[in-house]
Amino acid sequence: MSEHLLDVHVTKRFGNMTVLNDVRFHVDKNEFLVIVGPTSCGKTTLANIISGIDTAYDGTVQLQGQTVNPKVHNISYVFQEPSCIPWYTMLQDVTMGPIIKGMDPSRAEEIGRRCIKLVDMAGFENYYPRQLSGGMQQRVAIARAYATSPDLLVMDEPFGHLDAQTRYLMQIEIMRIWHEDKKTVVFITNNIEEAVYVGSRILVLSRLPATIKDEHIIDLPYPRDLTDAEFLRIREAITLQCEAVD
Amino acid sequence: MNKSRQRITNFLYNMLSLGVVMFLWYLLSNWQNSPYFPRLSEIWNAFVTLAQYGDIEGIFLSEHIWASLIRIFAGFAVACAIGIPLGLAMGLWPKLYYRTRSVIEPIRFIPPLAWIPIAIVFMVGFNRYVFLIWLGAFFPIFITTLLSVTRVNPVHVNVAKVFGASRMYIIRKIVLPSVLPDIATGMRVGLGVAWMCILAAEMIGGEMIGVGRLILKYAELLRMSEILVGMVIIGVIGFIMNEIFIMVENYVFRWRSEVSID
Repeated sequence: MSEHLLDVHVTKRFGNMTVLNDVRFHVDKNEFLVIVGPTSCGKTTLANIISGIDTAYDGTVQLQGQTVNPKVHNISYVFQEPSCIPWYTMLQDVTMGPIIKGMDPSRAEEIGRRCIKLVDMAGFENYYPRQLSGGMQQRVAIARAYATSPDLLVMDEPFGHLDAQTRYLMQIEIMRIWHEDKKTVVFITNNIEEAVYVGSRILVLSRLPATIKDEHIIDLPYPRDLTDAEFLRIREAITLQCEAVD
Repeated sequence: MNKSRQRITNFLYNMLSLGVVMFLWYLLSNWQNSPYFPRLSEIWNAFVTLAQYGDIEGIFLSEHIWASLIRIFAGFAVACAIGIPLGLAMGLWPKLYYRTRSVIEPIRFIPPLAWIPIAIVFMVGFNRYVFLIWLGAFFPIFITTLLSVTRVNPVHVNVAKVFGASRMYIIRKIVLPSVLPDIATGMRVGLGVAWMCILAAEMIGGEMIGVGRLILKYAELLRMSEILVGMVIIGVIGFIMNEIFIMVENYVFRWRSEVSID
């Protein structure tokens, strides 16, 4: 058994197009790992593989020493697209995970309410998604992901659909939540500033077929200062790597 | 503009449209002055006579309506009972559909009228009505159900999957709620088509009762007023049923942002 929480070593092909080419990395417990890369370089494909939704790949994904499987492992996923269930109220949506995992409804509700408070949405428990803004819906999705107290939390461009202002506020928010309740996070984004703002470690993906180009360990203290010289230097370095044609 | 005011405005405009149509009819019937273009008053009188004294065989209008309603609901119920489960099954296991579509799809294009000889040869009594109405109502219900299942948002399915949900859970909690509004729409369309098939069904049903039969009876006598009464009744009852359906839909699916218009 490996000492890492998650060990990934995969190659993924769609037909004869290779999307992920020998992508190999690991994630440690309570780490906030960011995977950054240009658009359409297979980031969502990678997220689907490490969360166990997509099982058609070559290689191995080991979570806690076992091949990743949502029925065995406790995984949560914050999707890029709006993912609130339209016919669920916010509370029903957030308690969905615990209930699927067999928790009794009253206990699930208690946890649900706590997670709703965690994302600062108390008072909206009985609202349907259509009554909430995009940013609020994404908070619901984060609350839902937290409700199962996952061993691995995968976030695939969770703020990609939000406007710049909301996105910035959500970045601050997600760091506050993570500090309040530490989880192992794999956070995928195409926004380099966001990557450096949230990540404790950053992996840079190349263009298709994606491989891991570089790794950056970010030692800056949280909450990070977007104008700090070191912050800007790392941001600059990653930007260059993302732009480089190899 | 708030909702209730808009509703009142819509209602008033509807009354106005209705008034315009009646006024045009009034003008045309006066201008034509023919027994084949009855005046509004003649149509009204025909309605009152049919309701109070019954038709040429003494069957009251209410009896005609009741008979047709029962046939329609029977045919419609069978169409739902077969169309919904079959649509769901074929949507969930698309192979079922792809391997049988050469049988299913062509039947869809055969008009109910074309089935009349077969219905006459193979069926008797109430079954004939039910069969013809079922034919009309089945496909809208079946096809909308089938298509809806294939259009379930994969993200919603993945949300449940990541939590380790069983296939049964996904079907019950994600697929079904997602397709129910479409099934309701299919049912509403199916109910409309069922009404449209009533004439064909009652043409061969053999009994002298039913709104469709009423029209046929008076068609033989070239009595336009009674025919029009029958036509309007089919239209109005269909309309009322549709309205009730929409009200129920809007209540049941109040989580939906988009509200169907028709």
